[in-house]
Amino acid sequence: MRRLFANRLAVATGVIVVVLSLVFAFLRVSSMH
Amino acid sequence: MQYRDLVRKAIWSAIYLLFILAPLFALLAGNLPPARNFGTEFSVALGYTGLAMMGLQFGLTARFRHVTEPWGEDVIYHFHRRISLMAVGLVVAHPLILIAIGSPSLALPDSVWDIPWGARFAVLSIGSLILLVITALWRQQLKIRYELWHLSHIVLALVAIAAGMLHMVGWGFYLVDPLKRTLWIGMTIFWIGLLFYVRLFKPLFMLRRPYRVTEVRTERGDTTTLVMLPDGHAGFRFKPGQFGWLTLWASPFRITGHPFSFSSSAEAADGRVEMTIRDLGDFTSAVKTATAGQRVYLDGPYGAFTIGNPTDMHVLIAGGIGITPMMSMIRTLADRGDTRPLVLLYGSKTWDSLTFREELETLKTRLDLKIVYVLSQPPEGWTGETGRVTAEVFRRHLPPEYAAHEYFICGPDVMMDAIETALGEMKVPLARYHSERYSFV
Repeated sequence: MRRLFANRLAVATGVIVVVLSLVFAFLRVSSMH
Repeated sequence: MQYRDLVRKAIWSAIYLLFILAPLFALLAGNLPPARNFGTEFSVALGYTGLAMMGLQFGLTARFRHVTEPWGEDVIYHFHRRISLMAVGLVVAHPLILIAIGSPSLALPDSVWDIPWGARFAVLSIGSLILLVITALWRQQLKIRYELWHLSHIVLALVAIAAGMLHMVGWGFYLVDPLKRTLWIGMTIFWIGLLFYVRLFKPLFMLRRPYRVTEVRTERGDTTTLVMLPDGHAGFRFKPGQFGWLTLWASPFRITGHPFSFSSSAEAADGRVEMTIRDLGDFTSAVKTATAGQRVYLDGPYGAFTIGNPTDMHVLIAGGIGITPMMSMIRTLADRGDTRPLVLLYGSKTWDSLTFREELETLKTRLDLKIVYVLSQPPEGWTGETGRVTAEVFRRHLPPEYAAHEYFICGPDVMMDAIETALGEMKVPLARYHSERYSFV
């Protein structure tokens, strides 16, 4: 159960990081216009 | 206490995310080179965050007590393993996205010698990361000795991070800006500094605070207890159920330490600590050859596996040598004159291999303690529990308000998985049970 918790924590971190990387790319590209 | 832990977990999670994402978004500040297409910018962001996540791995394994305490060391180490796969995934996705969108930056020059250094470092970094993951996931199948693997793990991580940083600096673009370059190089130095903290600063501290073995005691079940006293200092205070890293026959600078639970009472006034170690091969086989007077080093205490609310019934579930943290709890409660109700479910192979059997029976007279032995190979005429500790054993021996008890579990992985499932079926909330896996490294 504790491992499952650690797994979920890692997945949540990964999702946040990927979403904010998309935001970074969006902000960067949108500033071109 | 639980609310305080929740707040600490939230704060440390926020700091962790901030260390990964703030340096990325700092790249958007000040003067910027012209933006490239969305795919390129996204892939670059993944490269930066992937590297930051890899660098912070040094922080996760740096044994910072304030960081690990609210989670427990086992959760931190498991997170370390899982998040490294994510980080490597992000780093590998970086060139794959560039290939997929046909980025001109990946066009190969006519000669190998014309490949820019920035690209060479990228290959070195990704190669090291892939090797690092392969050796970590399949160390046993590849038959790599633990000590050699541990050393190679650190070297590969260092190479991956240093080469990744050189790739970023060599490629320029965002890091052409001296402030941004300084920020990212500073971050890299900080990550590597965390490694030096564990491998240099902490061992230096331990070297100045040695311990001396005062007794080597043979216990039931092919097990040895080392009794250790601080040598020239006051020692440390620990909570029952916590553990420390033991270094025997070597200097504290040695790359591989060995984690063991303390088995003694936390109330010892002279800083005395005991570790009870079962012969399971490798290092543990040699422990019985330790001698009184021998100098040893201890790094600790660590771990969140410790007794809580005094009003609750505590159910201690031990499998084999998983009895050691429970023994520390029981001895401590006896020394404190604590009369909270305790139930110990103690699983072992045979009657003769029950470590601390006699002392446990004596401790029953000083505590409100009920002991249930569960033997997988019972002797003839045994009328007690047999097989493994299961939900049925719980139901036979515990008062039925199962969700109101506090559970502490330590033993082999298979046993712990089965018990955690059983507790889930019995509707025991997650916050009510605490587990310690002695195979977390």
